[in-house]
Amino acid sequence: MDLRKYLEILKIFIKTQLAWRGDSVIQILFSLTKILFASLLWGTIFAGREEVAGFTLSSMMSYYIISSFLTQLDMSSKVSMEISQRIRNGTFSKYMVIPVNIQGYFVAMEMGMVLFHLIIYFITSVIWVFLFRIRFVFAPDPAILAGMGILILLGLFFMVQINYYLGLLTLKYEEIGLFLMIKDNLVAFVTGSIIPLTLLPERFLWIMKAFPFYYVTYLPSMLFIGRLKGELGMGLLVLSCWCVVLQAVIYVTWQNYRIKYDGVGI
Amino acid sequence: MIGRIKRNIRMVGVLINLRLQNLMMFRLGFFGPFFVDSCVFLVQLCVFEVIYSNVDRIGTWGKGQMILYIGTFSMINAINMVIYFFGINAIPDKIKNGDMDLYLTKPGSPLLRLTFERINPGSVPLLLFSGVIIAYGIKEGGIRITPILVLGYVFWVAVMAVLYYLVEVLIRSFPFFILTSGNTIILEEAGLTLCMQLPGIVFYGIYKVIFYLILPYGIMATIPVRFLTGELTFVGALWGILVAAAFTILTAFVWKQGIRHYNSASS
Repeated sequence: MDLRKYLEILKIFIKTQLAWRGDSVIQILFSLTKILFASLLWGTIFAGREEVAGFTLSSMMSYYIISSFLTQLDMSSKVSMEISQRIRNGTFSKYMVIPVNIQGYFVAMEMGMVLFHLIIYFITSVIWVFLFRIRFVFAPDPAILAGMGILILLGLFFMVQINYYLGLLTLKYEEIGLFLMIKDNLVAFVTGSIIPLTLLPERFLWIMKAFPFYYVTYLPSMLFIGRLKGELGMGLLVLSCWCVVLQAVIYVTWQNYRIKYDGVGI
Repeated sequence: MIGRIKRNIRMVGVLINLRLQNLMMFRLGFFGPFFVDSCVFLVQLCVFEVIYSNVDRIGTWGKGQMILYIGTFSMINAINMVIYFFGINAIPDKIKNGDMDLYLTKPGSPLLRLTFERINPGSVPLLLFSGVIIAYGIKEGGIRITPILVLGYVFWVAVMAVLYYLVEVLIRSFPFFILTSGNTIILEEAGLTLCMQLPGIVFYGIYKVIFYLILPYGIMATIPVRFLTGELTFVGALWGILVAAAFTILTAFVWKQGIRHYNSASS
């Protein structure tokens, strides 16, 4: 596997982001909405109490700052949209003729986009901390931070995988745009980017721990504020297993459905 | 005047008929908006169900009021989706590519035509779905329903659905002057996303100015709910009427100026 090809793709997508600066502005605006939502809602709730589900107002707002940052970094929904549209209009051939693995191409694309936006979103998150006068809660434990970094990378990879897989389903089901819109909404809930999952009843939480979404945004955010340290190992294991399983599913799906592509559009 | 109203009603009837014929030809995604929007509001319900399992009140509102709020916002959104959203949403493109010419040269009001030409019966189940949420909210809030309450609530939902429409038209009229409405539509989307999740009671200071006056999404579902729960004050009701009246005048003015300003760019 020649990694230089993927490195070139990554560089191209870093440059491409410069041409799509408007997208970053939109993302920043929506992250502001999220923080504003958290600030107004939880500000009102905490007006009469000190603690909710083990959160203080500061730790709750810190959670939203981090989860919003991680949610912004995940730009993999573009992968499913791109694949779906290309298959539907018959231009997916572009990816079939280039001498790279198609999934590898999209992983490099995601990495390029993430690297470009990393600093921008970090700076905006810092701005929100000062703008909303958040007493930022942060637990600086190097071992946990390193594990959390791996968990975040695995989470981003998993999201690319799942979106790649969903995009491929267009080969079979032709129109999946509707499903993708519903998926985005559900993913926002189950990854804990709307509310921390710890607020859910205990039995739901147990079920969610068996699924990968728990570990994509929620667990890293909780680790960052110094909670759920004991779940890091389990998180890495579960998410790795899901990545392996999904990779096998992708392989089988691609082998079965690629022959359905006729390159003329639907 | 009466003749004009009759003519407009006949025109709306013809537009609905044409739209239904069109939908019969392109059935794909007929219920699409219903599935997407109902999912949004179901997630909303789940979110507040979870929050209320940890706290008893958000500000002065209990769980019943919050469910009513979600149901009311869903109802206003459903009215929007069924009747005018798809027609109004196409205005910026029609201005940019010169298609507005067709609307200006055809008999009847261009705005009336744009409003009713793309009704979406696929979203009708969303009305029923919203009704179920509202009924659940009423039950959960222990509200005793009287005919006066129902009439008043329907009145406020109707006023707020019109206000929603006016804001939509206003924002989509900007391309008459500045060619692109992209940024304002993004602002609209951001404001809507926020106010769908948050009732007007949590806003204060500058946020109140923004969401009660400039982008009045903060009052759209809050006022009907406050009426139903007996919390709506005279000042609150007056504010709702004033904002709706102000937006009617402003939108009519901007639309008329926009039509005068329109220079058929691409034709």
